[in-house]
Amino acid sequence: MMISAGALGTIVVIATSIATLAPILLIALFLHDWKRGRLW
Amino acid sequence: MTVPADSAILPPGIAWALLAAFSVLWVALGWYLGRNNKTAEDHMLAGRNVGLALATATAMATWVTANTTMTAPQLALQLGVWGMFGYSLGALGLILFAPLARRIRELMPHGFTSGDFIRLRFGKFTWRVFLVVSLIYAFGWLVSLAMAGGVLINALSGIDYRVGMTIILTVCVLYTLLGGLRAVIGTDFVQTIIIILGVAFIAWLTIDKVGFEAIHFNLMEERPELLNLLFPAAIMFLFNNLLFGVGEIFHSNVWWSRAFAFGRSVGFRAYLLAGLLWLPIPIVAGFVALATPALGINVPVADMVGPLVAAEVLGLTGAIVVFIVVFAALASSLDSLLAATSDLVTRDIYRGHIRPRASEQEQFRATKVMIVLLGLLTWAAASYRGEIPVVGSLAAVLYFTGAFVASAIWPVVAGLYWRKTNPMGAALGMIAGTGLGLVGYFAIGFYVAALIGAAVSLAVILLFTWLAPREFDWSRLAEAEPRNGAMANGGVP
Repeated sequence: MMISAGALGTIVVIATSIATLAPILLIALFLHDWKRGRLW
Repeated sequence: MTVPADSAILPPGIAWALLAAFSVLWVALGWYLGRNNKTAEDHMLAGRNVGLALATATAMATWVTANTTMTAPQLALQLGVWGMFGYSLGALGLILFAPLARRIRELMPHGFTSGDFIRLRFGKFTWRVFLVVSLIYAFGWLVSLAMAGGVLINALSGIDYRVGMTIILTVCVLYTLLGGLRAVIGTDFVQTIIIILGVAFIAWLTIDKVGFEAIHFNLMEERPELLNLLFPAAIMFLFNNLLFGVGEIFHSNVWWSRAFAFGRSVGFRAYLLAGLLWLPIPIVAGFVALATPALGINVPVADMVGPLVAAEVLGLTGAIVVFIVVFAALASSLDSLLAATSDLVTRDIYRGHIRPRASEQEQFRATKVMIVLLGLLTWAAASYRGEIPVVGSLAAVLYFTGAFVASAIWPVVAGLYWRKTNPMGAALGMIAGTGLGLVGYFAIGFYVAALIGAAVSLAVILLFTWLAPREFDWSRLAEAEPRNGAMANGGVP
């Protein structure tokens, strides 16, 4: 049973999108913690 | 195999500039973050109140190693789509550790290491078995990371293996020494951002320049098995990798020290979020390997497929991005391992076996001495690699430790949640699981070592606990400093 080009593409695009958004989320969390003095 | 400078994908001049710039950045950041450390607790656990952002990033960065960025493409090339999906299941280790991290923090508010837990929960014999398993794994991982650093820097830039390995190890030892866990966590945040952005950048450009239709068509023509969803070895690998990742995280002091260091309500959320954000990374890093037939790339060594695709698609920019990502990925794991292993040796060997009455200041000094000694030992072991073909066997080296780590899963889980767990069953579970897992590794293949190790360990613990259940008072784990009796008996009634 072979994976189709469409299914492979969908999985990879979703994964790459999450990976692209992850640094933004981490920086937002950092700023949130920093403003509240909760970094450490 | 040594790559001469003229055949490397990155000019040595640029590589040296990048090495110098990032080395200065990591050491300066480490010194700055750790400048107020006054006690062993500051140095080892960063004040026990790390917030969600830094906690999530350090869990992610530590779990993204050179293995992730180099081995995920290698596995995609060897095992196809299940290779990269299977690798991404390593995220379940982080996700499943989330509730454990919360329980560890609740049960052991004054704990320092995973060894503390095993000693107090199961006693001296199990503790020593656990220390052997844990230190073999930690040292093996340290040496393989240092070797991978030297090999990858050489392969990417032509810089001599020993020079590259020495630089990356020295930089990590320096900033871990200067700043302890605070430096490790702080640099991990920056390294996480760099790694993920770099990997995603290469993936987007590969998608843009090659496209899924071309990738799929060429794979169907040349390597159709890589698209097969019923590839038996790959499915076996998937479950093995799941257990391997869980075993690595559940037993290793790298993750326990973070559970102790994260703020009281932070551990659960940080590990859960880190796991969810880590999940796609092996797919993103691994996918580029599937583009090799479409790009017409000849891959001489499987581990180097990622950098080769990046250089083909992006030219010099790709080579620079890969170099920075690899340096960040290596440093983010090496520093964590140096810090956590030196803590384990200081607390469980130096204080646990040599100087039980060591003062806070003596432990602080000992931790720093251990970081330097570990660095030197790692350097010595990685220096004399001879002609071992490390690049061609990164995955094999990694999965050799599978039997060790998977056999420690159930002693940890049962120890945390099952009051009646038999301590001898926990010790023998680790011994038998490791032994038979290694037999499976050599007799069947790397993809079954963790499966066998975990299964045997579980069976032994269940059998011993069924035959001789023991009661345990959870409050014994909460003591600030172990009593002499607890040290002697390991808290076993």
